[in-house]
Amino acid sequence: MHRRPYGPMAWLIDDVESPAAWADALAAMEVPGVEEIVPAESTVVVRCTRERHDAIGDVLDIVVPTDRVDRANRANRAELTLDVVYDGPDIAELAHAAQVSIDDVVRLHVTGRYEVAFCGFSPGFGYLRGIDPRLHVPRRSTPRTSVPAGSIGVAAGYTCVYPSASPGGWYLIGHTTTTLWDAASDPPATLRPGRAVRFRRVGS
Amino acid sequence: MTPALRIVQVGFATTVQDRGRTGLAHLGVPSAGAVDRPTHDLVNRLVGNPPDAATIETMGALVVEALRPVVVAMSTDASRRTITAGTRIRVDAAPGSVWAYLAVRGGVTVEPVLGSRSHDTLGGVGPAPLVTDSFVPIGPDPDTPLTADHAPQPAPVAHRVRIWDGPQHDWFVGGVQNLIDRGWRVTNELSRVGVRLETGDFPRSTRARPRMPSIGLATGAVQITPAGEPIVMLANHPTTGGYPVIGVVDPDDLAVLAQTRPGAAVRFRRA
Repeated sequence: MHRRPYGPMAWLIDDVESPAAWADALAAMEVPGVEEIVPAESTVVVRCTRERHDAIGDVLDIVVPTDRVDRANRANRAELTLDVVYDGPDIAELAHAAQVSIDDVVRLHVTGRYEVAFCGFSPGFGYLRGIDPRLHVPRRSTPRTSVPAGSIGVAAGYTCVYPSASPGGWYLIGHTTTTLWDAASDPPATLRPGRAVRFRRVGS
Repeated sequence: MTPALRIVQVGFATTVQDRGRTGLAHLGVPSAGAVDRPTHDLVNRLVGNPPDAATIETMGALVVEALRPVVVAMSTDASRRTITAGTRIRVDAAPGSVWAYLAVRGGVTVEPVLGSRSHDTLGGVGPAPLVTDSFVPIGPDPDTPLTADHAPQPAPVAHRVRIWDGPQHDWFVGGVQNLIDRGWRVTNELSRVGVRLETGDFPRSTRARPRMPSIGLATGAVQITPAGEPIVMLANHPTTGGYPVIGVVDPDDLAVLAQTRPGAAVRFRRA
């Protein structure tokens, strides 16, 4: 894990074992001047004021994710169960790409234990890690121009739920009716970095 | 407040913008906000608004009509005027620039979403883009003194944009020097999200990793695509990105780059 330069108003922390936990630990320190803490696959980017940039750099070297932080964030991490109808238009195509049966796709997906690794792509879009390696497939070669909100996707070693209608290149295997993004709520996103997620199969 | 303006004609991209929303990037919410913040702040200052009052940002000519007397300032000529009911004004980019701003005394008071009145071009957070025949609400008079009537615009000079090392600068032989060593033409791939420069040569070094993990993006980050196109991230950049970031444009110089017209050249210098 080390700190890399990122212009006069940001730092990048590289090779972080658990970016969501590290981001929580930094957030709990409430460091003045920190404006955004953005965990991603294996990094955390810290965006800050220009005035505090150097001082914040020193602080970042001593951030240690601890149990205390995990306890403080228990509510944020409370396991979420999403009811899913496995009726997505790409389920057969995914089964083919992964060389398993359609039943296997559903079984492997529904038995997984997931965690929001990080958010990105669109507001409230979480990359859920923990998917069975047998379902690790690249994105579809041609993205859809519009994917309905609530669609469950699989690609790139992650699963996801599209929180709002958007373009998308993941294999769509089902849908949920749970609202995952509501700008009027606090916080507006249901899927937040570090949150545990499981899926439950329901009939169509 | 009752509407004070009617939109007679919108440009290609006409939206309400302020200084953007902060603290939500970890949920995938872009900052958004004015692409050229100094100009947004300037027109606000001309009408006596605080700098975080919302203005109208447009690429392509915008025509508005006053429904009652209002005090306005636009970047087109960087001056303030009072217009009467029924008067139409045309807001267009100043010569040689891309984005124009219109401030109205009292500020644009569309409903804020998550702490900002900025329209987010990527995720659609915030007020919808302005459309023809819509009405724009304006807030109460801020009761501030009106000082400068006119802000002299600096003459366009061959400004060198300052650039810092990005987190993956060492993935490329020569790092940001590749950007500094020559001029770069701006392509017509430009939006509130970013500006694409012409294709260049960015030889990978032995320190480049075989796979680039997606990372959080910063405003001003310069990503290098596999085809060698530098993409400079502007105010409405996505929260994460998957191309290596070779450098970061200094925030104080970003507006210069954002206002460079397609086909015109920019030059960089080390920050």
